[in-house]
Amino acid sequence: MSDQGSSQITEFIQGEKEPQSSSVVLALGVVASLSFLLLYGILYPGREMPVVSELLPMFEGVFDSGIWFFLLGAMLGIFAIIGTMLTEATSE
Amino acid sequence: MSEIIPTLAIFWLLMVVSFILMKRGLSIFNDVAKGMVMFMLEKALGPAIDFVQGKPGSASRTWIMHGMIWAMLASILTFAGLWLSHDSTALHSLGAWGYSPDSHELMYAGRFAALFGAVGMMVIGAGLHVVPTLSGTNLASESNATLVSGLWTLSVLILVIGAHAKEILGVDIIVLGTALQILAMTAIILNQLLTISNATRPIAIPGWLIIFGLIGNPLAVVSVFLSGAYGTGVGQWLVYHMIGGTFFFCGIAGVSLYASSMGSGNPLWSRTLVGFTLFGALISINPMGSTDPSMAVDMLGLEASEISSSTQDHISGSFLMALAMIPVIAYSSNLLVTLRGTDAFVENADSPGIAEMNMGAWMLIPIAIGSLFVQTDALGGAGELSGISQTLDLLSLWAVLMPLSLGTALYVFPQVSGRKVLSVSRSRAAFWLMSGGAVAGLTFTIMADLNDMALIESLAENPSSITEELRILGSVTFYGTVLGSIFHCTNLISGQFRGEKLSEEVESSTSLSPHTYELTSSTSVRRILASGATLDTEVIPVSQSEEAGSATEL
Repeated sequence: MSDQGSSQITEFIQGEKEPQSSSVVLALGVVASLSFLLLYGILYPGREMPVVSELLPMFEGVFDSGIWFFLLGAMLGIFAIIGTMLTEATSE
Repeated sequence: MSEIIPTLAIFWLLMVVSFILMKRGLSIFNDVAKGMVMFMLEKALGPAIDFVQGKPGSASRTWIMHGMIWAMLASILTFAGLWLSHDSTALHSLGAWGYSPDSHELMYAGRFAALFGAVGMMVIGAGLHVVPTLSGTNLASESNATLVSGLWTLSVLILVIGAHAKEILGVDIIVLGTALQILAMTAIILNQLLTISNATRPIAIPGWLIIFGLIGNPLAVVSVFLSGAYGTGVGQWLVYHMIGGTFFFCGIAGVSLYASSMGSGNPLWSRTLVGFTLFGALISINPMGSTDPSMAVDMLGLEASEISSSTQDHISGSFLMALAMIPVIAYSSNLLVTLRGTDAFVENADSPGIAEMNMGAWMLIPIAIGSLFVQTDALGGAGELSGISQTLDLLSLWAVLMPLSLGTALYVFPQVSGRKVLSVSRSRAAFWLMSGGAVAGLTFTIMADLNDMALIESLAENPSSITEELRILGSVTFYGTVLGSIFHCTNLISGQFRGEKLSEEVESSTSLSPHTYELTSSTSVRRILASGATLDTEVIPVSQSEEAGSATEL
């Protein structure tokens, strides 16, 4: 492939601009997945969720206080700071 | 026997001697001392000094960045401590990893992280920019100041660990952390003293506030040891409050007065009030802080003693704490009026730290008055108000010291890094989260404390459910502080890479207006503004000669 062609491909797949409607697509995705979870409960009442129902017992007795909800948020914040540092430093 | 007045007399004497030495120097030993200090700060460190950059502003930037990260960690530790005060087994699952903290340990660790990590590092970092700027020179050793920021952070980390386990493998962890901190503090003091020795103009009083704040810390400790009061409860209480009044109060006052003036574009409202702030802070006892001096006791490796003050100590201590209201009110009013200038509107979109400084100055007076009552009660041995002491200490930390140091850091950071924070609106959101979380959360906790005190006084057998509900509400509301500090951190870090450049702003603002305006004769401000000058235009008086001119030679 010629140099011009490869530069065009890079330009096309870079996706430098962020259209506002992309967040609508993301929100639609989240709503759709929640809807399917609800649908699973309606179609198969009393049946446990695959994978999720096997993973949750592992955390019994660990996250048994409301503080973990907040600490997970703080951990997300710490990872956001580390992520910001890494992405900003390597984005150039 | 009186402990307070002899200790303070030694402290005042040491301060006066220090000031005379700083003004007059060491006579014929001046050059030798300067050369030796410079050698110790740079060459004596060997290859270690080559690990860091010596670019102007790099030291201040590093200290402030570390301080911001410590602010976030401190808020998380304090939040967890507040939560565990009503749900003591909330973190029991961490016991599987050998970590089973209780509320007291987390709060203690949070206080170390907030005081020495966040507030201390942001104040020292801002001071590393402010003192050279006011002296009209560069920092003596940027490399050394940058390097010791790592040492200071390490010392705070050790102190936070020591708050959980005071002794590990027979080593007193808190004393080890203090020793490292003394080493870093000595380097910073020498660096700043060397900087002001190269001053090209008289240093404004905010600069002296920073310098006295730095040297006041070790001198307070030396005074207590020289007077022999270190073994008594009153002496330990006194050294705790002397460090609070010098290093924290003077340091914050110095950097925030500078930032309030430069950030708002208004000159300092009153020079006399700055002088009163400095003089008053040094001669009085700052009442803010806990009634329990265990932090100072642990850091100095002393045996804790009960506070049993003599009548003379009670009277002199109460009087000197009441006297501290003079510098507190002088500083607060000076800062608030300076922020406003001739305008009632405080918000400045270009200086996001102004909102924090405004809030800290507002909260200072009521919290200082509240602390005065609590401390006077504790010094007298009554202890009737000791139930709210810890929460009031947290309130002074998170509603006064933290906003004032954070606000200053938010102004200074763009000046030293050359870039603004990424988003002013995110800064504003972080301010509301931090201030709202701290004030509301800790107010709910104080309400719970007061409820507990009332129940104890009435000899009630069953605890009230409303106390627990208030503590839950307080800890959940305090979570806003955690979110605010995370927002501030990400905003500052992203701003370093993508924030608007300060130089670009200057260029754009001056493209349509003159940089300078030459003033040849008296004129009105209206005429200067009409010529296209802005508030940033420098007005330069040009001298004129009355001598007769002659023809221009071609």
